[in-house]
Amino acid sequence: MTYLFIILYATTLIYFALSERVKKFVWLLSIQGFLLFGVVFFSLHTIEIFDFLFILIETILVKSLIVPLFLNKVRKHNHLKREHEPSVPVFYSIIVVVITLILSFIISSHLNSNQIHTKYFTVAFASIMFGIYFIIIHKNIFSHVVGYLIIENGIFLLSLAVGSVMPMMVNLAILLDVLMGVLVLGVFINHIGDTFKSIEIDQLSKLKD
Amino acid sequence: MISFLLILISAIFFVGVITKVKAKIAARKMPSVLQPVYDVIRLFKKGAIYSPITSVIFKIAPIIYFSSILLATFFIPIGSQKAILSFEGDFVFFAYLLGVGKFMMIIAAMDTGSGFEGMGANREALYSMLIEPAFFILAGSVALFSNNISFNDLFLHLNLDTNLSYIIGIAAIYVLVYIAMVENSRMPVDDPKTHLELTMVHEVMVLDNSGFDLALIHIATWLKFAIYGSLISNFIIHSVWTWYWQIIAFFVIQLIFSIIVGVLEAFRARNKMEKNPQWIIMLSAISIVVFLTALIITQKIILN
Repeated sequence: MTYLFIILYATTLIYFALSERVKKFVWLLSIQGFLLFGVVFFSLHTIEIFDFLFILIETILVKSLIVPLFLNKVRKHNHLKREHEPSVPVFYSIIVVVITLILSFIISSHLNSNQIHTKYFTVAFASIMFGIYFIIIHKNIFSHVVGYLIIENGIFLLSLAVGSVMPMMVNLAILLDVLMGVLVLGVFINHIGDTFKSIEIDQLSKLKD
Repeated sequence: MISFLLILISAIFFVGVITKVKAKIAARKMPSVLQPVYDVIRLFKKGAIYSPITSVIFKIAPIIYFSSILLATFFIPIGSQKAILSFEGDFVFFAYLLGVGKFMMIIAAMDTGSGFEGMGANREALYSMLIEPAFFILAGSVALFSNNISFNDLFLHLNLDTNLSYIIGIAAIYVLVYIAMVENSRMPVDDPKTHLELTMVHEVMVLDNSGFDLALIHIATWLKFAIYGSLISNFIIHSVWTWYWQIIAFFVIQLIFSIIVGVLEAFRARNKMEKNPQWIIMLSAISIVVFLTALIITQKIILN
């Protein structure tokens, strides 16, 4: 059952590359949250019940509800409807995603290690790589936050890959990090949007005292 | 033989059901399910008109197009009903049969010397070229999964019974529905109802065909829909079911497929022309995910 969610997660990455609307990014992030919930629900039976419940609540509440809702609010505040054309054509982005996925599957197949659960490593690696690529190709700050969250989801999967017992503190730290990061960046985007009427990074680089 | 007849019967009603669904959703008066058949009969009674600058290619193209698709129909099995023709690796032959027909239509469109038709042919060629990897990767991964390389054995030994193989089934159906839409120049890439030549793909290509030739082209479209519908039904129908259940399931699936096409056409807007290639390549990307899944199932990629 875990494989089902992992494969679906890989599909969301393809849709991230395909879509050009900001609203769709938020939706896809929410879907990724639900998929992570599924992964955790079907794979982490062995850990303590308190930790298990905590991670479940984290994925379903924070990743798939609070963060997307907040991002949606930021999106509406800044009147973001359509992503301005990414600097790389979508056609190439899709090819990049596919190559990343194939590479990460091949790498995981060759790892052959007992310490690492390679089934999580596949999409974790692809997700981190794609998150970085996503940040590079988009020009506005909002999409950068989305890219950051994709990387974060990848790191979450990576933490599942390296150990079946996830240390509570690490998880708590990641959660706090993400929530604060998104909140701060959201407020930041709102302020920039209010002051400059645009959140393009090209214009930000022209700022002077 | 039975599978061939079943496909022919379902082809007759396919486009009629689509039109009916579209009319129902738009709250128009519904035409009869057999309306496309009446149209084709009317076209058969008419003679064809040929432009003086066209050569013999233009005259034979619709016939080759039609016959290549009819021949492709011979290769499709339904459940345990065998196809008429079958050999190792016939899905490659199947894809190229459709390709031959399309190629003839494209050079026939070029033959007329009309700018519009050249443009339509250009687009059609691009989209067919982009959709081809999706079909081959999908067929390849299903072949890998069931360990057979002819349509007959491939679907006969296709057992979608574990969690992971459901992904293959669902994704394959999803991709095949959209391949059918692209191959038949339907909604997300092309709007069959459009009245402006500049935004057409398939319609503008067959602008000069009339009478008998146009009728053949229409029938070829029905057949293509029915072929893809039967490919989809093969993913759902189990070969262990009794024959009458298989036939009932086949018609139900064809009906659902045509309703889905109708609903998609009624509610979706056409993609922007320059967004089409990226949308089509997305289908190939999904087929690659299917391929990776097949690799995991067959333990070519070992994960723990």
